[in-house]
Amino acid sequence: MTRPERRQKESRSLRLYARLLELYPPAFLQRHRAEMLQNFADLEGAAASKAALWLLIGKDLTMSLISNFFASQLGRYVIGVLVAWILLFAIGYYRYGSTPGHPALHVFGGFLLGMLAVFIATRLYGTPQNSSYVIGLLVTSILIFTIGYLRYGSTPGHPALQVFGGFLLGMLSIYIKIVLISPQAT
Amino acid sequence: MSKSEPPLPLTPAVFHILLALFGKERHGYDIMQQVKADSGDAVKMGPGTLYGSLDRMIGAGLVAKGNTQDPRRIYYRLTALGRTTLRAETDRLSRVALVARRQLGSA
Repeated sequence: MTRPERRQKESRSLRLYARLLELYPPAFLQRHRAEMLQNFADLEGAAASKAALWLLIGKDLTMSLISNFFASQLGRYVIGVLVAWILLFAIGYYRYGSTPGHPALHVFGGFLLGMLAVFIATRLYGTPQNSSYVIGLLVTSILIFTIGYLRYGSTPGHPALQVFGGFLLGMLSIYIKIVLISPQAT
Repeated sequence: MSKSEPPLPLTPAVFHILLALFGKERHGYDIMQQVKADSGDAVKMGPGTLYGSLDRMIGAGLVAKGNTQDPRRIYYRLTALGRTTLRAETDRLSRVALVARRQLGSA
């Protein structure tokens, strides 16, 4: 590999890392973004291989993001909603779980995906001043729902409909927290 | 957590950061390298873990930011409470190690 090629690849790693940093809370990034990028560049310069570098960074990102998430107000809110939802799921599962299609399971899966989708969108694109990405997510989920409905809609229990309903509820629960309850506390 | 009492026991990451900063101001990358060396490669800390820990340690009054102009190279130093905490944790670990050695010796 020639030196310019190597330099180009290194800068690609740094760009990727800069993008991944957006997953941290905005207040944390405001304090440490410049330092973290410099540290990554230093680590990249000293790393024996790209694999070793990304192994360290991957582990670090996972652990610190989880730690940051659980320490944040949004994290505590998500846990609260999740616990409430698990209770509802458990009741739904024991009451309706044995019917064809396991509706409670489908709604629960959809709910988790909905929460996750809005959470990732907020981290990557910031707290919305308008609802463009929520509309984007909604359009995507409608497309997925249409495909799912056409494929599985006629089976007992209408799983696509259940997943879609759960997805919308999941999106809504996080959206309410981020935009309406405490927009600065995420 | 009270800012006048050492918050013991410490996590391995916090203990190693305090140890790395003892007697010398260091920036983030320097801290990571020192932690790696002090722990004999057992503790490999990435930027996310380091700055998450430093935020908590600054909040607890163990560490303070030094005077730095460059936002990419911010230096950190131990506070008086940080030094007291490091000594207290070192004593605690020594006592635990002593007990462990005694128990292993008698087994």
